[in-house]
Amino acid sequence: MIGRIKTQTVEASQFLVDWMEHRTGIVTMLEHFLYEPVPKRGAWLYTLGSAVLFTITLQFLTGILLLFYYAPTTDDAWNSVEYIMTDAYFGQLIRGIHYWSANFLMAFIGLHMGQVFFSGGYKSPRELNWIVGVILLLLVVGLSFTGYLLRWDQDGFWASVVGMKIGSYSPFVGGYVIHFLLGGDVVGPATLSRFFAIHVWLLPAMIAPLIGAHLFLLRRHGVFGSEFEYTDRIAKLHERQRLEEYARYEADEDEGEPYVGRRDRADREGYERDGE
Amino acid sequence: MYAPATGKAKPVEEEVITEENVFERPDETIGFFPGQVLKDGYVSTFILLACVVLSYAAPAPLTEPANTATVEYVPRPEWFFFFYEQMLMFFPGYALISFGAVVVPTIFIGLLFAVPWLDRSPQHYNAVSRPFASVIGILVVVVVVLNMLLAVSRIMNFPTA
Repeated sequence: MIGRIKTQTVEASQFLVDWMEHRTGIVTMLEHFLYEPVPKRGAWLYTLGSAVLFTITLQFLTGILLLFYYAPTTDDAWNSVEYIMTDAYFGQLIRGIHYWSANFLMAFIGLHMGQVFFSGGYKSPRELNWIVGVILLLLVVGLSFTGYLLRWDQDGFWASVVGMKIGSYSPFVGGYVIHFLLGGDVVGPATLSRFFAIHVWLLPAMIAPLIGAHLFLLRRHGVFGSEFEYTDRIAKLHERQRLEEYARYEADEDEGEPYVGRRDRADREGYERDGE
Repeated sequence: MYAPATGKAKPVEEEVITEENVFERPDETIGFFPGQVLKDGYVSTFILLACVVLSYAAPAPLTEPANTATVEYVPRPEWFFFFYEQMLMFFPGYALISFGAVVVPTIFIGLLFAVPWLDRSPQHYNAVSRPFASVIGILVVVVVVLNMLLAVSRIMNFPTA
């Protein structure tokens, strides 16, 4: 009885897997993504990048949950955040994760960048992935700047005022950019709406496909890791080059002409020319 | 039908290693799953636990509601903008502030984009074998960290200024 159920379950799941594979190719795709060989020695070091991915995923998830209660108007913004912190179910937890993982995100981006820079991971053919990474960094900085104003408390409000004051010093474009962000002459309801739209729609919509591009390029060229992942291969390369050099000298000897230094040969050729 | 992959690189027999292909494949590999995924999972779990603990131990801050009429409130940027705020102190006055606030960071970001083309030496991945790039990188880190420390010490010494 149990044996028959077991066989039937195995057959049913095999049928399901084959059915999906035939229609979507998802099994082959999973094989391809999951079993890709990656460098072994510095595996712990390369968790920095995935830590960035994880914290930004937390941002997306908790951000969506915060939207359930948050109201982006000057009258209600602070009160809604207060409500999240005191009354909403798990509100403190959700906002806490959003806040703290944003801080971790900045720290991990810094560490990830440092790791890639000092191991030379941006070199050919991975230049474009570095470019995408820098764009992602700028977008995250923009997200953190716009997010600060949304709580509409004294800290966030005045820090944004100062931030935009600094931005208004940009040569040539400063005035236009700030007018666009403020939606008026001073920080007010229009500013909150715009910062909300930028923080919740514009920047996440830009960041999501770029994360995809970052991961696609990562997989396309493979994880570089660091030079110590290639120690044996570099040693073999140098060994082969050395042997080839020896072989070249030996081949020269076989031709009957003893090896002479460049200087020596040049002297002799010069002497012969003089003799003519 | 598909043959399950083992996650181990197939032994390449008699591969001739040249300067072009030396960095094509690491010496030792593990399968992304489960090897790397497991390590990523440990780190992610630790981060999530830290966030959960911190959100109750040190709740996300919320000061009193924004009051556009106050003139004496001293705003603080978030810690990752400390180095930028502190850097502005070195560009006093209206003539220099736009230089320090916008021009210098723009040049820096431009250089950041250009890094792969500024350092193109093909075989030199090791930080020691390309001292110029490494020294510049360390200098940038030192400047950022020192500016952050300066900002922290300023805030601790003058909490309301």
